Amino acid sequence: MSESGNRNSTFSNAALKHLDALYGFAMTLTRNQTEAEDLVQETYLRAVRAFGRLMPDSNLKSWLFAIMRNAWLNQLRHTRGGPGFVELDAEEVERSQWLDQVANDPHAVYVRKLEREEVRAAIDSLSHPHREIVVLREIEGFSYQQIASILGCPAGTVMSRLGRAREKLRKLLAECGTTSATRTARVN
Amino acid sequence: MDQCKEIQAQMSFYLDDELKGNERAALESHLRGCEACQGLFDDERDFLDAIRGSQPLHLAPPELRARVEQLLVDTPAPHAASPEMRQRIRRFLRHPGSSASGIAYPRRVLAAAALVTVALLIGTWAITVYLKQRPNPPSEFALMAVDTHQRHQRNQLPLEIASDVPERISSWFAGKVPFAVKLPNYQESSGQEKLYALEGARLVGYKNDYAAYVAYQMHKQPISLVVTSEAVAQPSGGEEIVSKGLMFHYDSIQGLKVITWSDRGLTYALVSDLEERGQESCIVCHEGTKDQDFIESLKPKQVSD
Repeated sequence: MSESGNRNSTFSNAALKHLDALYGFAMTLTRNQTEAEDLVQETYLRAVRAFGRLMPDSNLKSWLFAIMRNAWLNQLRHTRGGPGFVELDAEEVERSQWLDQVANDPHAVYVRKLEREEVRAAIDSLSHPHREIVVLREIEGFSYQQIASILGCPAGTVMSRLGRAREKLRKLLAECGTTSATRTARVN
Repeated sequence: MDQCKEIQAQMSFYLDDELKGNERAALESHLRGCEACQGLFDDERDFLDAIRGSQPLHLAPPELRARVEQLLVDTPAPHAASPEMRQRIRRFLRHPGSSASGIAYPRRVLAAAALVTVALLIGTWAITVYLKQRPNPPSEFALMAVDTHQRHQRNQLPLEIASDVPERISSWFAGKVPFAVKLPNYQESSGQEKLYALEGARLVGYKNDYAAYVAYQMHKQPISLVVTSEAVAQPSGGEEIVSKGLMFHYDSIQGLKVITWSDRGLTYALVSDLEERGQESCIVCHEGTKDQDFIESLKPKQVSD
């Protein structure tokens, strides 16, 4: 295989590892499965055409996320006024890895599942900027600087927005009354 | 007390791994000696663990994974300088007095190298601009569909069945082509006004087999649909737009608009001389539909990097 062919193949393999994460972010942005799937394909199409411009030290995952967010913003500008909606519990297959990790105690499994669903529902009920930043930080584990680069805003904005989003999330989970987060809810 | 407030303000940063060095050590040291702050810290950590434990929020459907894998195989990356080459050039431009080996060049050699670099950069830019402006070449299938459309217009390809009933056309193709042709009755099923009419159909040869050719009329303007198996023809080239999970390729060939796409094992080419570009030409036929979601998906989406 030629050198460029090798680079293409290496890029494709590396980029495919982020498919679930990108789809999750696309669902966060669009809240619609069909639109999310289109957005994921659009992102990969743009990425494969632009990856020659990606510097070796760059973070591939945050680069892909930035491409996705730009593509989504452009679509919003040119199509409709705002994102659609989708039920969070309309999906999904539980990850077998997670099942392996929990104890074989059916009650513990039930409680953990309940907590996960409550947390997901709470995240989904946040406003768009809060939902987006919670997903980028807590679910995808991006650093403040990487989030700033994806959102195109200063790191200070990331910190303050994340703080507000967490407080909102804490209150929402406290209202549910059964998660560990509830037990630890702080009143500031 | 002031120190406690300061430490509490930094807890999230610590748990986000955004505190480094002395600040990190100072927070750890304070927690060891302050029960109240340690309690708040544990609460914060448990809260974040609960949030982070909810991942993944979504898993990509297997069909999407298959489409993306295919897209990565089908889409060649444009020619561009390798990242390593770009980094070398940037490093050179940042420190023009030194080479990778650290040996300083004489000023005249440096000036010549700079000129060559500038010339190369301008050349690369010009080639990139040219490549960007040049559209992706249309697929062989799209070219065949245009040729078929034109020959039908010149009366060189008369229809083998004349009918405006989709079911009759569909059953006529049964056994004649190695795939099932199911023409949608979209206008009636969606309550759309009758904007276009089915004329008839015939077989056309393509790649040692038959493809299905279907002729429509819209305001006396001819529209052609050519269908074959995805194993025989894959759409490519032109302006690529993703919509409803499908990749549409929009081309303009000899003044005609061509849209090609694949769906459920079949590849389609739609040829018309409608003036509208790309997706807008779809809206022309479907504008009367009551299916607003479908219409919404056809509206142009301009996206950029």
